Amino acid sequence: MRLPDRVTGLFLVGLGAAAAYGGWQLPPVPGQPVGPNVFPLVIGTGLALCGLAIAFGIGHSFEEEEELIPVEGGQPPPPTGKFYGLRALLPPALLLFYVVVADRLGFIITAALIVFVTSTALGARWKLSLPLAVLAPIGIHLIFSKLLRVPLPAGLLPMPW
Amino acid sequence: MSKKITRRAFAASSAAAAAVAGFGFKPALAQAYPARPVTVIVPWGAGGGTDATARIVAALLEKDLGQPFNVVNRTGGSGVVGHSAIATAQPDGYTIGMLTVEISMMHWQGLTELGPKSYTPLALMNEDPPGIQVSSGSPYKTVKELADAIKAAPAGKFKASGTGQGGIWHLALVGWMQAMGLAPNHVAWVPSNGAAPAMQDLAAGGLDLTTCSVPEARAIIEAGKARSLALMASARNPAFPDVPTLKEAMGIDYSTGAWRGIAGPKGLPADVASKLTAALKKVFDSKEFKDFMSNRGFGTVWGDATEFATFMDKGDAQMGVAMKAAGLSKA
Amino acid sequence: MLKTLIDAFALISTWEVIIAMFAASIYGLVIGSLPGLSATMATALLVPVTFYLSPIAAIATIVAASSMAIFSGDIPGALLRIPGTPASAAYADEAYAMTRKGEAELALGAGVWFSAVGGIAGTLSLMILAPPLAEIALSFSTFEYFWLAFLGLMCATLVARSSPVKAIAGMFIGLLVSCIGIENPGGVPRFTFGMTDLFGGIEPIPALVGVFAVAQVMRAMLTPEPPPIPRRKFGSIMAGQWRLTKKYHWQMTRGNIIGIIIGVLPGAGADMAAWVSYAMSKRFSKEPEKFGTGHVEGLVEAGASNNASIASGWVPSLLFGIPGDTIAAIAIGVLYMKGLNPGPTLFTEKASSMYAIYLMFIIANIIMIPFGIVMIRLASYVLRAPRSSVMPVIMLCCAVGSFAIGNNMFGVVTVATFGIIGYVMEENGYPVAAMVLGIVMGTMVEQAFVTSLIKSDGSILPFFERPIAAILAAMAIGALIWPVLVWVWRRLKGGAPAAASVR
Repeated sequence: MRLPDRVTGLFLVGLGAAAAYGGWQLPPVPGQPVGPNVFPLVIGTGLALCGLAIAFGIGHSFEEEEELIPVEGGQPPPPTGKFYGLRALLPPALLLFYVVVADRLGFIITAALIVFVTSTALGARWKLSLPLAVLAPIGIHLIFSKLLRVPLPAGLLPMPW
Repeated sequence: MSKKITRRAFAASSAAAAAVAGFGFKPALAQAYPARPVTVIVPWGAGGGTDATARIVAALLEKDLGQPFNVVNRTGGSGVVGHSAIATAQPDGYTIGMLTVEISMMHWQGLTELGPKSYTPLALMNEDPPGIQVSSGSPYKTVKELADAIKAAPAGKFKASGTGQGGIWHLALVGWMQAMGLAPNHVAWVPSNGAAPAMQDLAAGGLDLTTCSVPEARAIIEAGKARSLALMASARNPAFPDVPTLKEAMGIDYSTGAWRGIAGPKGLPADVASKLTAALKKVFDSKEFKDFMSNRGFGTVWGDATEFATFMDKGDAQMGVAMKAAGLSKA
Repeated sequence: MLKTLIDAFALISTWEVIIAMFAASIYGLVIGSLPGLSATMATALLVPVTFYLSPIAAIATIVAASSMAIFSGDIPGALLRIPGTPASAAYADEAYAMTRKGEAELALGAGVWFSAVGGIAGTLSLMILAPPLAEIALSFSTFEYFWLAFLGLMCATLVARSSPVKAIAGMFIGLLVSCIGIENPGGVPRFTFGMTDLFGGIEPIPALVGVFAVAQVMRAMLTPEPPPIPRRKFGSIMAGQWRLTKKYHWQMTRGNIIGIIIGVLPGAGADMAAWVSYAMSKRFSKEPEKFGTGHVEGLVEAGASNNASIASGWVPSLLFGIPGDTIAAIAIGVLYMKGLNPGPTLFTEKASSMYAIYLMFIIANIIMIPFGIVMIRLASYVLRAPRSSVMPVIMLCCAVGSFAIGNNMFGVVTVATFGIIGYVMEENGYPVAAMVLGIVMGTMVEQAFVTSLIKSDGSILPFFERPIAAILAAMAIGALIWPVLVWVWRRLKGGAPAAASVR
């Protein structure tokens, strides 16, 4: 997902313009000299200006750019397939999966699926991922549901406590 | 009707058996309500006044009815999320919740379809009237002096705060202005992020008056940084006996307030509802509840199911008038 | 005075209080150190528990758990680059860079040591200086808050490691996020697209968890397992802290003072204190070029400031019932529930309870050192554990933690969404920490600006007339044009800076 500055900059211009336009359309509030429209207008404009500066490389010369340290060690591996990059979307997808099915399946089953999939996707063998998928949800459930009374959904497999 | 209730009760209690025991079968069929833990939804966050009131009520209900009453804070959407969670719950008596005054305001602003009619009212437990506070350096010693100065001043000269735009204390100010025959926005409203920041700004000299409730202003008043001139209520608050009502001080019969009550989703079975109302009456009369509320300076007002319903309808109409006058209503 | 102190000792030396403090400390350490869970959530979840405790024990749990959780939020920040609070987001990159250099012990040791020092300094300020500090709090009206928030936002450019323009863009994105909802001065729905769940706006914590924790798991999906940190003994954690204290005693003191002052201002709180202190540390450092590469100086100052502000944040809470931040708001609720109503009577009629609270703060900060060391040692196993066993647990914590804040599934949706946003931003060099700062400060900037204009009938003069406002305005404007002046001066001197000549 590494995009050229020109692309992200222009995207910010669009986002800023949309925000400014959206804010501009808000009705004024009686009794307030500055309505709810002003703040989005200012921010949208500022964002759009930043986007322009980034897209056209202004400001690079203004202050010394510090070297960006790569977050995780090592070079990215050669992509093994066309859709390799989409693997990054797995974690948010799993969280949305949790939102959709947790009430029906219950916390334990949903959480076990999430743990198993995440662990396997990161290259764990089943000897690690399977026990993890059983133990981690139960542990979390114990702490949150039993101890702290967070109403985690029981679903199909309620815990005996 | 009775058949339907029985079937529902059966479904509920067998679900309860499965949920509580996890496995096996318990003869839960014959058990009377409540046969399993009850969830009490609070639309506001942990640690606030509504949360505290709900927790003391829940603890006392638990003692009386013998089942856990678990308080669950369903926050988000400025109260809309929690209120709608109460309204859309299964009407089986195992999910009830605490309604706050916002339920009679939000629908006027077009924020939700929900209104007082979306619930089975059970009991009104509390109402806190707004007070009128000025900073300790203010030249106005009585509410009459303040009111005269407000009347004499051009519109917008005086600034007041206490909560956000369109919040309950804003409407209290609007109502007071109208009762004095002034324009709703004669005193300019400065929105704030709750009563505490407004009281701080009052003490910092940024405001002329606040119209939040006296318990909310209490700590600053006791610190000698502000004083309360009047209450917009029908009677004085025993915790603050020196503060007169608007009627006593200037003959204006205007009262409103932020209230809290317990309700269930619409269509709660009549036997469950009456059992809960009876239990809530016991809670209300208990020493623990009275002590707790008076310690915080919260007003206690009782209303049973019908009284609560009438109370909400009346308040709802009053809010509608004030909000339309202030230009806050979308309806 | 001595008698109240003895009474206070008697109050806290009951088994209930001791056990409560002990258990709450462990609880705070564990919850705070789990990535995806936050100190605010840890404190909120304690409220039902405190309901069944005696007043002093109830306060003890809140004091102990919140102090510990704030510190231990630095642990996943340093080890995994997943900060636990918006405050530790200010220096998470720095601490993580130290871990990558093999200096995790030093980074975390500095965290626990200077947090404890800051906490104790803050508590002493609370004990000795509460009335004058309260006067500071009460002299801040919305005009002053506007400049304060403005200064806070400017820290975004100093903290970032990337291009300043991208840091500002990140901050603007955060400000834009803070526009969402109806909790704006106008009370009208803004950018909610008709979704009820968006009415309340986006809370900083789920956004923080998303951009750091979820984005980290996303990155892990695409990168190979990093080479394991050399198998060597995790060194002494406290070694070298005394040397650091001597070397950076001025930074530490400055951090403490800034933390105490910002802490007493309700609404600004610990989050801003850490940012301002880190930025100041960089601005006034003799070796600013080392910042961002794993340099401990900023951690010293920000850590000292962070915890000092938490203790001094209790001043407005205890004196006026005005909460300094979300944790203090919960604490006030517990105080009320236990009949210890905030207000001056707490200091006179219930002075022994008051002193008991002070003592608990000091004890909590002292036991933080041994407890923290044990926790750091346990947590350091994370560095050796395979990623495929750590990341799934992070995922679960994100899901449960974001749900537990409001018992609302929308929190999980928020976390997932911000995971994607954070991942894309980070990949393209936009610092996500700047966005978090924008979300934290956005509401305050707008609220202060709009309400100030209502109060001044549209005139901007009072922004410069009130004495404190004028000072803050001068600082903000000075900080704004300073880099420009430096740039112009360098240009005039002839020798253009290296970076400029490259382009």
